[in-house]
Amino acid sequence: MMHIEEDAYETLTIYLNEIKQHFVKNADDVEIVTDIENRLAEMLNEKLGNRLAKAITQEDVEAVMSQMGRVQDFGTEEEQFEQPEENYQGAKKLYRDADDQMIAGVCAGLSHYLHIDARWLRVLFLLSVFLGGAGFLIYIIFWIAIPPALSRSERMEMRGESTNLYGYKRHFEEELAAYQASMESGHAFKVPLRRNNFFQELFAAIGRVINLLFKVLSKSLAGIIAIAGFFILVGLIVSLAAFLGFWDTEAYQYFPLSIVNENFRSILAFTLFLVLFIPVLALVMYALRVTFHTLKINKLFSFGLLIVWLAAVSVGVYYAARISSEFKEHAELEQTNALKSFPVYVLNMDKNMVFNRKDSIDYALQAGAERTIIDDTDNHPFRVPRNVYIQIEKSESGKPSLTANYEAQGKTFQEALVQAKNIDYKFNQADNVLTFSPRLSLTHHAIWRNQEVHLTLKLPVGTRLKISDRLYDYLYFYYHHCATDDAAPYSEYKEWIMTEEGLKCKAELDKPQDVVPN
Amino acid sequence: MIAENTQTQMRKGILEYCVLLIISRGEIYASDIIAELKQARLLVVEGTLYPLLTRLKNNGLLAYNWVESSAGPPRKYYVLTPLGQEFLKQLDRTWDELNYAITTSQAGANNAQGANQPNT
Repeated sequence: MMHIEEDAYETLTIYLNEIKQHFVKNADDVEIVTDIENRLAEMLNEKLGNRLAKAITQEDVEAVMSQMGRVQDFGTEEEQFEQPEENYQGAKKLYRDADDQMIAGVCAGLSHYLHIDARWLRVLFLLSVFLGGAGFLIYIIFWIAIPPALSRSERMEMRGESTNLYGYKRHFEEELAAYQASMESGHAFKVPLRRNNFFQELFAAIGRVINLLFKVLSKSLAGIIAIAGFFILVGLIVSLAAFLGFWDTEAYQYFPLSIVNENFRSILAFTLFLVLFIPVLALVMYALRVTFHTLKINKLFSFGLLIVWLAAVSVGVYYAARISSEFKEHAELEQTNALKSFPVYVLNMDKNMVFNRKDSIDYALQAGAERTIIDDTDNHPFRVPRNVYIQIEKSESGKPSLTANYEAQGKTFQEALVQAKNIDYKFNQADNVLTFSPRLSLTHHAIWRNQEVHLTLKLPVGTRLKISDRLYDYLYFYYHHCATDDAAPYSEYKEWIMTEEGLKCKAELDKPQDVVPN
Repeated sequence: MIAENTQTQMRKGILEYCVLLIISRGEIYASDIIAELKQARLLVVEGTLYPLLTRLKNNGLLAYNWVESSAGPPRKYYVLTPLGQEFLKQLDRTWDELNYAITTSQAGANNAQGANQPNT
């Protein structure tokens, strides 16, 4: 019975194990080891006998060990008993690596054996699966043929580490460090289970494959988001630059931009940029973090981003409120033009009239040029809300007239009136042909304040009208579906007539007359 | 490296001879053998001795008796077997031959050196 200090005990245990390991190939290992153990015990006893404290210290053990000699020194004198060491120590065996497995650890095991990084082998196998599926078959064969490295010595053989005690100790320490690291990072430590059944292993592997697929899927999704987000960021920067002045200022005359007051434009563009840019940036960074685990996001940085974003949002809200307050008051401006009297009027719509004479010169437009097609559809992305309304009414005075009501919004009545005056609307009478422009334009640098033109065409009873199909979208009366006879040839113009009850479709008025005589 | 290897080979045979010589004088304990070897300046660690003793015993050259010890577990005291004594005699003769061979060779080498370098 001996007392021994903990570290001394540990050293002694390792030393004894080393000795056992050293003589393990010797036929008489038990006897030799017993002799050595007895001798060590005896020497330690002698050490104890000389003093009062009855515990063996580290120094005692070290002294005894130096007398007995290091294990490495044993071998030189007794080589005839040893197997050639190279064959045993450092010999590699092919196992499947259960610690680093993606499916069954075949690639990880091969990587130890061939000294190639496992990921390249995995890529190779994956590619060969696509190239006719040979890799899949080979993998299954390897899986069945190669045993998994389960015990510690098997795992060491797999890595080609010598299976002496130093190797054991180092391996154990590495494993412990890996375990601690995995505990800190929150991942569950993978305890390799001893599975005897191929099918058990297969099901576990299928689970891992699904897990892996999910991981790959989420990672590639994150990657796509990161790439798309990156392009969005670049696009945002480019459009900010454009809005801040690199683009021609004509852009501000189109509808959604024309809402913004001229002196708000830069700051609002910048604000809008920040409001959009920051969330996209955050998304990209998050996606990058999902794709590459290593990317760390500075907390201070993200808080800064959040604060800047909130500030940008509040600035945006402030300006939005200011702009919307400019829609508070409504003003109207009425202008009545007398028309020359004709029994029949032709109502036309001309899109070319949107362009003023200066535009026509700029764009080399010529009235009557056959190939000129300008803005034939109204599906323009920046289409101004419809702002021209036409109403046809009975004239009480018996004289034809056209009344134009120019309307606009503003912060005060005065401002609204100014905005209404900014309306530039084209209308033309050439004999009995009345030509309307489909939309109003604003004089230069005017901003959009819901400007509208309400045209009221007043005609005496009995006046006939030929209304172009193209006008119907702008007409402000309800029964504009004027059905003509199917037999009649198609005409762009539909005939209407003004009666005491208002405007009637001539074809419909004619119908009862046709029916009665028959 | 080559010198080391040769030295190791030389010592190995001689160690075995010396151990047998020490044991031939009578029953002896392993650590006493070490002490004698140290005295003979054939320095080894104890760990080396046990495999050697075990091998010699298994070859029938040695035998041991268990002797109770006051300081711990019973000790093995080694003695030569008749076969061991016979083996030792052979080694004696071999040693004499080797000794003669070495002395002669060394004398020859020294003479040759002396002839090449006349006295100053």
